[in-house]
Amino acid sequence: MTRIRSGPQALIALIGIVAIVAAACGGQTTSTAPSTAPNPTDATVASPTPAALVTPAPLPADEPGPNGGTVVRWFVGLGTGGQPQQVAAQTAVVTAFNGSQSDVYISLEIYDNQVAGQILRTQIAAGNPPDIIGPVGVEGLNLFIDQLADLAPLIASSGFDMSKFDPALVDFFKMGPAGETIGVPFATYPSFLWYNKALFDEADLAYPPSTVGELYEGKPWDMAAVRELGMKLTVDANGNDATSTAFDAANVVQWGFDMQWADNSPIAESTLFGAGSFVAADGRTAQVPDSMRVAQKWFNEGVWTDHFIPNTSQINSDLLGQSNEFMSGNLAMNQSHSWYACCVNPAPPAEPIVKDFGWAVTPSYNGTTTSKLHADTFSILKTSRNPEAAFAALAVLAGSGELLSVYGAFPADPSLQEAFFATVDANYPGVTLDWSVPQAMLGYPDIPNHQAWVPDYAKSKSAWQAFQNAYRTASGVDIDAALDALQVTLQGIFDAAQ
Amino acid sequence: MTDTTTPLPRSPVWSRASGWRRRPSGREALWGYLFVGPWLIGLVLFTAGPMLTSLAMSFTDFDLLNPDRVRFIGLDNYLRMAGDPTIGGSLIATVRFALISIPLTMIASLAFAVLLNHSRLPARGPLRTLVYMPVMIPLVASTLVWMGFLNAETGWLNGILGALGLPEPDWINSETWIYPSLSLIGLWAIGNFMIINIAGLQSIPTELYEAARMDGAGAWTVFRRITIPLMSPVLFYNLVIVLIGTFQYFTQAYTMTNGRGDPNNATLFVNLVLFREAFVFGKMGYGAAVAWLLFAMVLGITLVLFAFARRRVYYAGGDR
Repeated sequence: MTRIRSGPQALIALIGIVAIVAAACGGQTTSTAPSTAPNPTDATVASPTPAALVTPAPLPADEPGPNGGTVVRWFVGLGTGGQPQQVAAQTAVVTAFNGSQSDVYISLEIYDNQVAGQILRTQIAAGNPPDIIGPVGVEGLNLFIDQLADLAPLIASSGFDMSKFDPALVDFFKMGPAGETIGVPFATYPSFLWYNKALFDEADLAYPPSTVGELYEGKPWDMAAVRELGMKLTVDANGNDATSTAFDAANVVQWGFDMQWADNSPIAESTLFGAGSFVAADGRTAQVPDSMRVAQKWFNEGVWTDHFIPNTSQINSDLLGQSNEFMSGNLAMNQSHSWYACCVNPAPPAEPIVKDFGWAVTPSYNGTTTSKLHADTFSILKTSRNPEAAFAALAVLAGSGELLSVYGAFPADPSLQEAFFATVDANYPGVTLDWSVPQAMLGYPDIPNHQAWVPDYAKSKSAWQAFQNAYRTASGVDIDAALDALQVTLQGIFDAAQ
Repeated sequence: MTDTTTPLPRSPVWSRASGWRRRPSGREALWGYLFVGPWLIGLVLFTAGPMLTSLAMSFTDFDLLNPDRVRFIGLDNYLRMAGDPTIGGSLIATVRFALISIPLTMIASLAFAVLLNHSRLPARGPLRTLVYMPVMIPLVASTLVWMGFLNAETGWLNGILGALGLPEPDWINSETWIYPSLSLIGLWAIGNFMIINIAGLQSIPTELYEAARMDGAGAWTVFRRITIPLMSPVLFYNLVIVLIGTFQYFTQAYTMTNGRGDPNNATLFVNLVLFREAFVFGKMGYGAAVAWLLFAMVLGITLVLFAFARRRVYYAGGDR
């Protein structure tokens, strides 16, 4: 080996080595090569990098924010808030708030809903948790129930007015293990039937009713009527509907009904046939309510026998907007919540496909109407270093009319409801929105809520999602046997969680 | 007259008599360690350190949401793994996928390399670039595009098959077709292996081919008796890398199924199970145990391959 000369060359080499070490210690290398041809020098496991939709500039934890205020981190993604239409609005609200005062500085982080829970867990475990999470619904709260602070002392000390809310909603958020108040009423999202008027007009069919108890074409407005209507509104490439003998089930181009974005939840689907839970009243015994068996068979037949409900491949196809089914204009009826007001139109500059739509009441089953309810709030984590500042920010967020409108959120504060109606109306010029429908549906919530707590919620949810995906993916599933197997699986999960 | 019988001085390092018994000087060794040092430091800080941490974690019930309540539980995680049907199913799914994907990748990359190394093929450079380009596309983005391409209803592939009067399988939601689908996606990004194979092909002395042809050997005989043996080190390297990558398979499966391992757990590979246990369910201790199971599996298979290589891989220089 050639001898390295001492002096300047050695010094340069040493400086280079130090620079390389400093660079290596400054960040972690992550393989970006395809997993079939990994970087052979990188032994780390390939994993997806959950990209934040909004990435804040890192702020020192104990120093004032750019406006001189206490830094409060707001974590968005556990519920709504990740759609492109919403990101800009949330950013604008935060910017305006930060610029209007110097006590609190909100640092906004928005993550995709699919990975937000995992990211939050990781942040908590790493000792780097945010202060505020939200908007978050019952399910998100269930996943982090032990991490949430009791807001009652903060509500009392700040003088936040809770009297303006419906007492039932106030009690709704006393969800902590010992009845702690973990959120303030912010928004409710009643569910109802969205229908595409153009498809009804094309089929020369009357619109569904907008009043509970109203008949449809002289018959009760129930799940049997939805099936019949759905089949008439399901059309193949030759224009034959699903009631026709010439109907080609292999070439469907328009579907009659679905419950869009129900998160692969059989409990959610089953609420149309009555509320229920996979856990019995004792909190540890797995069960499958009868209403759920009826519901899942109804949906299964709707997909594979009557063909008015799309299967998984169809949902993910271009025909149904790659899962935004109602927006595609090829789904006649969608049972969904008021938050869907965010997404009927595609993000600009794309033009709306569904030019006119209406709202109808949820169909009944055996004379009972059940309309599943989502309710969102903002919560503060126990680990927040500045709970007072966090609550001050939370109070502003919870009272923001701009956020309510962009979330499609029915305000819990009655004084904000008219303004909310006007804002959503303005987003859909030419569409007449009947606000009496969502208001009426608030009176028929699913109790127990379809997102209510079960033991080891994350694992239980994974199990029931697998069930729902199985029947939506392949025909021939024995629903009773699959539900029995699911019950056994859930019992194992519940037992392990004790 | 010059004395040509004077023996040349022996190299202190490469002398056949001294071999490994004469070591480089201490100063030379120090310089070597200095230059390797940054990589060693990175290895310790970013690889070995976390590995040891995960090993320790695998003997605890560490939970992401309650990191302060960690307890030492001994081998409970490993015992639980032994009886967990999810783990068994994931191993089967991973092996099934590997049996399809690995041979396909090896054969296709070699075939492309032979084709794109042919002297009579015009525009070899641009063609090699085109074949390599998919490697540069981010994996998640490409997977999302492939999902559209493979969609049973509106995907282009089924559109082409339908136009040809062929069956149109459900590439993504069928337990039968999901592995060929994933293998197809993998084939799109074989550029790395193709390039490595091309380098291997170009390192084969052309005199051997000329001699073979003079002896009347046909193309297949030349390929089988000359190309493959002399390519064996390169092929072995590719095999090890493909094997490791296949057992670490994750991104495409996660993207296509939202992490659920659909259809019916067919894509619930070991790596995906690890991720779900650790980050979705928050059971980091159990996830760490699954990670070490995966490590042990891959290490074991790699050692078997290296043992196999002693007899089947030909190193022209005699070294390994």
